[in-house]
Amino acid sequence: MNWTVVVENLPYLLRGTVSTLAISAAVIVLGTAAGVMSGLLRFVPWGWLATAVAWGVEFIRAVPLLLQIFFIFFGLPAIGLEIPTFPAAVLAISLWMMANTAEVVRGGIQSIPRGQFEAARSTGLSGLQTMRYVIFPQAVRRMLPPFVGLCTILIKDTSLAAIIGVFELTRAAQETIERTFRSFEIYLVAAAIYFVICFPLTQFARRGETRLQHP
Amino acid sequence: MAYTFDWSAIWKGLPYLLEGAGLTTVISAVAMFLALVLGMVLALLSQVPGGLVPGLVRAYVEVFRNTPLLIQIFIVFFGLPELGLKLSPFLSGLSALVLYTAAYNTEIFRAGLQAVPTGQHEAARSTGLSGLQTMRYIIIPQAVRISFPALGNNLVSLVKNSSLVSIIGMVELMFVANDISFNNFRSFEIYGTAAVLYVILVLTLTRALTLTERRLLRAQ
Repeated sequence: MNWTVVVENLPYLLRGTVSTLAISAAVIVLGTAAGVMSGLLRFVPWGWLATAVAWGVEFIRAVPLLLQIFFIFFGLPAIGLEIPTFPAAVLAISLWMMANTAEVVRGGIQSIPRGQFEAARSTGLSGLQTMRYVIFPQAVRRMLPPFVGLCTILIKDTSLAAIIGVFELTRAAQETIERTFRSFEIYLVAAAIYFVICFPLTQFARRGETRLQHP
Repeated sequence: MAYTFDWSAIWKGLPYLLEGAGLTTVISAVAMFLALVLGMVLALLSQVPGGLVPGLVRAYVEVFRNTPLLIQIFIVFFGLPELGLKLSPFLSGLSALVLYTAAYNTEIFRAGLQAVPTGQHEAARSTGLSGLQTMRYIIIPQAVRISFPALGNNLVSLVKNSSLVSIIGMVELMFVANDISFNNFRSFEIYGTAAVLYVILVLTLTRALTLTERRLLRAQ
């Protein structure tokens, strides 16, 4: 074990960490916005649209994220759609986030008792107003713990972007190892950095779940 | 767009991709079995009195759940040889998958064990069963039934996560897809086909799990 290597290369790893956080933030914004919309589209009165969205979500959720990244980065250029590494990774991970957020939103909305819909409609609210003022605000509280859980998985999964060459924490670790040949120490430190980011989030998700079970 | 979709690339690649899908299924099944055993043992250890053992179990769970699987695979495959422990790509990939999945399984089993009402313990003990028998015949079967849906989700995640071991050279569906498309440059067709195979695998599995869950509920 050689810890001076770690100390010397820590600034470089931290630069990678900043990039990891930037990718995560971009994905959380894009993926969540798209995910909430597609989750809500499951409840529109036009059956074909709801079904199409449901199938799209199912399909994306069933494909490994690594394959999605490879499809977008290696597969799309074959048909003339060239996307650079960083946007390719953000796009692939955002699609993943979108599909999974859509499931969380659907679950949250379906967990609200039917009576709430009926009561809101019978007070004269439109379908849209019912969703906007009655159902969604209640459902958001139930969506929060699984959503935070998703965010931790997402932060861990940004490590896959390293494989197509995006500079982030895992890539920074790989590059450091190519220089120093100290894979055990460097990967351990990278793991520790991921842990520091993710642990508070999983604790929040866990506490949220317990609190919801025993209100 | 001048691109012509090449069906023959899919026809030529399909036998290999199907073989890869078979390997993905086998790897996932073996890893899940081991992760279930390890998860159950650790969940039971988290119930023993005293703070030390449950604390260690908790530490294991949190460390493996809060770090990327990819990094765990790299530590096992590239890092451990530095300490003198060299494993083949197959064993490295398998052990990383098992350790990662077992961390999630432990948490699920632990919650399942705690969800069995204390009255069940008391009733079992008062019929004359020993502590061990109570666990074996009364508590664990109920905990497993409670945990089943969450474990099923874990198995589905495992099938998808197993694609990561392709990076260290373990042969499965993702590896085969990379191998073919790097050779014939038909990455669009080949990755597309691989995606469809994963979807078939995952949807079949989800369906089977739902049916089993329904049967378990009826048996209750």
